[in-house]
Order: sequence, then structure tokens, then C-alpha cells
Amino acid sequence: MVCSFVRWPRKVAKAGLLGLCFLFSFALRAQDDGFKADGFKAVPILTGSTAYFTRVTAGQYQDAPSVSPLLLLPISDKWLVEAKGSYSDTFSKDAQGDYNGAISYGMSYGQIDYIANRYMTFVAGRFITPFNIYGERLAPNWIRALQTSPLTSPVTSGSGLGGMMRGGFPGTESLNVTYALYFSANNTNHILATDRSTGGRLGFFLPRQRLEVGASFQQVLQADRAHSSGVFMEWQPNREPLTVRSEYVRSSGTKGSAYWIESVYRLSQIPSLRRLELVGRGEQFFTAANLSAATVKKLGALGKDTNEGDFGMNYYLRSDVRASASYGRQFVLGRDANLWTVGMTYRFLMPMLPQGGAQ
Amino acid sequence: MKMKFLLAALLAASALLLGLVANASSGSKDAAKDSPAPAISAEQTAHNENLHLEGEKRFRSNCGRCHTAPPKFPPRMMATIVRHMRVRATITDQDMHLILRYMTE
Repeated sequence: MVCSFVRWPRKVAKAGLLGLCFLFSFALRAQDDGFKADGFKAVPILTGSTAYFTRVTAGQYQDAPSVSPLLLLPISDKWLVEAKGSYSDTFSKDAQGDYNGAISYGMSYGQIDYIANRYMTFVAGRFITPFNIYGERLAPNWIRALQTSPLTSPVTSGSGLGGMMRGGFPGTESLNVTYALYFSANNTNHILATDRSTGGRLGFFLPRQRLEVGASFQQVLQADRAHSSGVFMEWQPNREPLTVRSEYVRSSGTKGSAYWIESVYRLSQIPSLRRLELVGRGEQFFTAANLSAATVKKLGALGKDTNEGDFGMNYYLRSDVRASASYGRQFVLGRDANLWTVGMTYRFLMPMLPQGGAQ
Repeated sequence: MKMKFLLAALLAASALLLGLVANASSGSKDAAKDSPAPAISAEQTAHNENLHLEGEKRFRSNCGRCHTAPPKFPPRMMATIVRHMRVRATITDQDMHLILRYMTE
């Protein structure tokens, strides 16, 4: 049991920190005379993706059509409401040879953003926790180069419910600094579940070299109070149509640690193949030390050391329609498996006003 | 249970509708129609050219990390997209303005 006088200063500290953030923001805003809206009045947009993928995991077929709509609702020059949902129906064959469907749906994020000034944006609602690069940038299926999620994904808490402060600013002419800090409350709703946690992300981007490196931290404030830390990098050489990305994450709790490294090469120098990109990814997952047999059973996939290699290709029929195929081999003690994926993604985008977004 | 089916039906109908409407509503035709008028003086033209090149550079270094170059959308749609990406990808204010300008020329 914790005495109330121990809790109370924490609340005061949090309120004080939040107050300072607002004060800092208003002070900067007062000096900020250059912010303007470029003369274009933003229009509400409905975007997102539809996809159909067939997956064969260790001989088990699955067909999964899905849709992920994203609504963007700008209000004046400073506000943006963002809501992204997801729905999929996964069909697979049971022991009798009959196909059964399992529906899953959820809300990736539903947040309101306030652009306080050129350096700072406040976010409130349900958001994706800012940690490294996969969840932050690459997770949508029309962006990710390989459809299988990396082994780092389950190690950290992916969603938050609360407040976040984030932004970016040029440190020097050749360096941009990006940051994000958040606090999330506990939520036990089966669709919108989140952990009580806090954390942040700091990135350094060198535009000339097209290199970004950074680090992330997350502290869970419930259950085993585990903390996770991670580092990431992304590099696109100026002379080659190549992207190299990597991230590493380590958790102090029972979830272990993992890393992946991925390279994507666009065959843009060959006219007939310029729409094709080749992808390779290698990754390893290491379980936490000294896990009991019961904990290993409870953790499932996170309870066994895993190595995985994936190779895939994406072909852009148009900038918004992509066909993908990949093969991966997963090495788990006594349970090696082949992972096949083939499918299509369509990214849609439309204005929500009848004039079609005309100025 | 009933809610699940309602939601499923609604989302499936939305997906179909989106596919049909998207092609009709997006495209470079509108973007060209809505582009601002070109500048007149030589000095202004040179300045605009510099901003264009800088915008293209910022687009490639920021947006190109995750996206292939999309067709240009109408300016009001681009204003929303760039605002969304400013928050999501923590693009700096300066980069956001240059990218918006480049994508709406």
C-alpha cells in the first residue's frame, strides 16, 4: 500500500510539467510571427487502404481481405482530427476441411492534434506510441516493404491513450531534430486496450546524407513495470535507389529483445523493371533470461528464441496499387516454418467535400 | 453480435464505395487546374525555381523514405495531407511549407 503523500507529489509534478509545456508553447507562439497557412484551406479527407493477402504459415493457409480507413479532419490552421480504423476477415481451413472466418476490427488511433507553433504539436486521444520507426512510420500495409511484422513489434506497447507532445526543428542547416514525449493511461476495453505508460523518442536526421538515427524509451507504469529502450537508423544513399533500415529493442521485463535489418532496392535503372523493388530482411529475437516454464507457455511466440530471414518483392502497378509477394524462413527450436505471402494493396484518397478539394 | 455484423457490412460497403469513387476524385487533372498562376519577373522566376528545387529535395529526403512519388493532388487536399504528415512523421515546419509548395505547383 502506498501512502497518499507519496502519490500526491507525483500528481503535482505531472501537473507542473504539463503546465510548463503549455507555458513554453505559448511563449514560443508569442514570438512566432512566421506561421501561416500557405493560402490553401485544408479540406477533410478520407484515405486509407484495402488489401487482400493470402498467407501460408507452416502449411496453414489464410486468406485475409482487409480495409483500413483513415479520416483526416482539419479545423482552422491549427487543428487536425485523425481517426484510423481497421477491419479484416481471416479465412482459414479447419480440421474438417471447411473454411472459417475470424473477424477482427479495431482503432489504430483516434486523436486530435493542436499545432501550437512551428516546433511543437500537442496530441490527445488514442495514438500510436512513439517508439523507433516501425510502429511510427512503416506499419500501414501500403507502406511496409514486407507484409510480415518484424519480431520487435510485440516487445513494446504499441498504443497509448492520453497526451503526447511532438515536433521537429532544424538544429543546424544540415541537421533536423525530431522528438516525441507521451503519457498513456491504462484502458482495459478489449478493442482499445492500452497500458499505463510513459516514454519518448528522439531522432536526428541529416537531410544531405539522408540518414536518420535515434533512440526511444518506454516505461510501463503497471504490472511488472518493465521498461523498454531501443535504437533505430534509416539511410537512403543519394546515388542509389536503396533504403537500409534497422531497429533494436530491449525490454527489462519478460518480453526479451529483438532487432531487424531491412534493405529495399528499387530497380529504377532498368526501364522495364523500374516499378519493381526487392526487399530483404534478417531478424533475431532473444527471450528474456530465467523465464519459468509457466511464463514461457504464457508468452507464446515471445517465449522462444527465433531467427528469421525474409525476401520479397513489390510491384507498383500505379503509385497507389501494389502487388506483393514474399517468402520467409523462421527458425524456432523444434518448430521451423516457411512463411509465404502474396497479395495486393490499394491506397485510396478522396476529399470529403463535393467540390473535390478545389481551391 | 449484431453490432459486429453491422460494422462488418458497413466497412465492406465503404471499401467498395471507396474503390469506385477514388479514381474519379483524384488525379493530376484537378491539380493542374488548381495550380497558382506563374510568376512574372525574371528575379521572381529564379526565386520560384530555387523554391521548387528545394521543395523537391525536401520531398525526396522526407517523404521518399516511406512513399513513392504520388500524383499531385489538388492544393486543399495536399494542405491536409502535409499537415497529417507533419504530425505523423515529425516533419519540420520549414520542410512542410516547402513540400506543400512543391506538391501544389
